[in-house]
Amino acid sequence: MNQQRRLRPTRWCLPVAAAVLSSFVACVEHAAAADPAFGEYLSSECVTCHRSDGQDKGIPPIVGWPADQFVAVLQSYKTKDRTNPVMQTIAGRLSDDEMAALAAYYATLKPAN
Amino acid sequence: MKAHRRDFLKSAAAASGVVALGAPAALGQAKPRVVVIGGGPGGATAAKYIARDSKGAVEVILVEPAKQFVTCFHSNLYLGGFKSMQEITHSYDALASKYGVQLAHQAAAAIDRDKKQVRLADGVTIGYDRLVVSPGIDLKYDSVPGWGKAHEDTMPHAWKAGPQTVLLKARLDAVPDGGVIVMIAPPNPYRCPPGPYERVSMMAHALKKAGKTKAKIVVIDPKKTFSKQGLFQEGWERHYPGMVEWMAPDIHSGLKAVDPASNTVETGFETYKHCALVNVIPAQTAGKIALDAGLADASGFCPIDPSNMRSAMDANIHVLGDASIAGDMPKSAFSANSQAKVAALMIRGELVKSPTFPARYSNTCWSLIDTDDTVKVGGRYEAKDGKIAAVETFVSKTGETPQLRKETQAENMGWYSGITADMFG
Ligand SMILES: Cc1cc2nc3c(=O)[nH]c(=O)nc-3n(C[C@H](O)[C@H](O)[C@H](O)COP(=O)(O)OP(=O)(O)OC[C@H]3O[C@@H](n4cnc5c(N)ncnc54)[C@H](O)[C@@H]3O)c2cc1C
Repeated sequence: MNQQRRLRPTRWCLPVAAAVLSSFVACVEHAAAADPAFGEYLSSECVTCHRSDGQDKGIPPIVGWPADQFVAVLQSYKTKDRTNPVMQTIAGRLSDDEMAALAAYYATLKPAN
Repeated sequence: MKAHRRDFLKSAAAASGVVALGAPAALGQAKPRVVVIGGGPGGATAAKYIARDSKGAVEVILVEPAKQFVTCFHSNLYLGGFKSMQEITHSYDALASKYGVQLAHQAAAAIDRDKKQVRLADGVTIGYDRLVVSPGIDLKYDSVPGWGKAHEDTMPHAWKAGPQTVLLKARLDAVPDGGVIVMIAPPNPYRCPPGPYERVSMMAHALKKAGKTKAKIVVIDPKKTFSKQGLFQEGWERHYPGMVEWMAPDIHSGLKAVDPASNTVETGFETYKHCALVNVIPAQTAGKIALDAGLADASGFCPIDPSNMRSAMDANIHVLGDASIAGDMPKSAFSANSQAKVAALMIRGELVKSPTFPARYSNTCWSLIDTDDTVKVGGRYEAKDGKIAAVETFVSKTGETPQLRKETQAENMGWYSGITADMFG
C-alpha cells in the first residue's frame, strides 16, 4: 500500500519474498566487482526523479544506501513484488551487473547537508 | 584569431557565464564545440550533461533568448492554484557557474548547415562541431478558423508558458458562476498529450473551489479519443459533476470558426456565444528554426535516428524533445530530458571518444485531477524497427484507492523537483 515509504532500506526486509532473497545473494557477489563509473552513467535515468542531493521532495532519496539493499529493492521491482509501475519498468530492463553498478555508485554518495 | 577567441570566451565565461561570440569552430581548435539551441528540458539537459561529463574537454554554448525558463509542466497546477509562478520559474545561472556552459541569451536566427554555423539575432555567427536543436514547438496560427496571433490575448493558448499562463489564470479567475469556458483541443501530434485534459481538471478545480459550480467547461476536440481518457472522465464525474462536457468530432460536427471579437465559438452542432473564456490550443509544428533549417519532414516535425537522436537530415545535428519525431514517446518534458541524456552521451562519444552504450529512454507523465487525486502513464523505450519503440508501458487504473492516488501525487511533486534539479541544478 504505502509503496513509497516502504522503499527505505531499513524496512526492506519485511515485505521481501523468498524469491527475492535468492537473487539477493547472487547480486551481492556482483556488487563486490561493480563499477561505480558505469553506475554513474546509469544513474542519469534515476536522477530525473530521485534528486542526486538526496533531498526528499516527494520521491524517496536513494543516495547513500548500502549496496546490497539497493540491489534487493531493485530486484523486488523487477520481479514485481513491489508494486510501483514506474520502478517496475525501470528495474525491468536492468541486468544484474547494471543493478550492481548502480548500487555501487549510489553507495558512494552522501546526502547534501 | 583563434587564441583571441578562446581567451575572450574564457574570460567572458569566467565573469558571468554570458558569452559574446566571434569566429567559427575551426579545424585544429583546442576543443570541439557544441552549440545548443533552446534551453528547455531537451536543450538545458543536453548542455549540462555534455559540459559536466566532458569536464572541460568540450566547449558548450547554450543559445536561449529567455533569461529564465518557465516550465509548461506544472503550469496547469498554477492554474489550479497548487503552485505559484515563482515555483515554475527557473534560472540558468548554475549551468554557467557549476558546469561552465556559456550562455548566449539570444534567439538563433538561422542555421547554416554547410558552414556549420549558427547566426544569432544580433548577427554574430558561432561555428559548431555538433549542433543540438531543441526549440520546442511553434503554434500553427492558421489552424483554427477566425483565430490568429493577433487574438492570443483575447483567446489565450497558454501552450507556451509565461505571460500567456498568467493571462489564462487571470481570465479563469474572472469567470462568473454560470459562465461557459470553451477549450479548443489540438489535433495530434502535439505537446503533452494529457495536458489539455489536466488543464480542464485544474480549471474545474479552481471554479469549484471558488464556489462556481454552475460554470461549465466545454471541450471541442478534433480527436475521437485522448490520453488517459477513462481516468479523466471518471475523475470529472466524481469531482466536478455536470461541469465538464467533452465532445468528440462526431458530437460537435466540426469546429466551424471562432470570433474573438464576441468570444464566440461555432461548431456544426452548436454556437457558444459570449463565452466567459475561450482557450484555443492550436495545431503545432517543430520550432521555426528547425523548419527553416530544413530539419523537418512533411509532418512539420524532425525525423531522427532512434539510436542516438541524430537528425535524419544532417549528421552534425541532433534534434531533441517536442521538435523531434520520437516514435512512441510522447512530447513531454520527461521524454525530452531522457532523449537529451542519450544525445549527450553519443555526442561526447564522437567528439572526445568517451564510452557509449545503447540508447535507453523512459517517460512518465503525471496528471493532477483534483487535490491528491493523480494518475500517471509511462513506459520505457528503445530503438527498434527504425523508430523509438515502446518496450513496456503502464497506466493508472480507474477505481484506484485514494491512498494510491495521493501517493501518485507525491511522486508527481517529487518528479518535478527532481527533473528541474536535473536540468538546471
Ligand atoms: C500545459 C502543459 C502541461 C505540461 N505538463 C507536462 C508534464 O506534466 N510532464 C511532462 O513531462 N511534460 C509536460 N508538458 C510538456 C513539456 O512542457 C514539453 O514537452 C517540454 O517543455 C519540451 O521540451 P523541449 O526542450 O523540447 O522544448 P521547450 O520546453 O519548448 O524549450 C524550447 C526552448 O527553446 C527556445 N527557443 C525556441 N526557438 C529558439 C531559437 N530560434 N533560438 C534560441 N532558442 C529558441 C525557447 O525559448 C524555449 O525556451 C506540458 C506542456 C504543457 C503545455
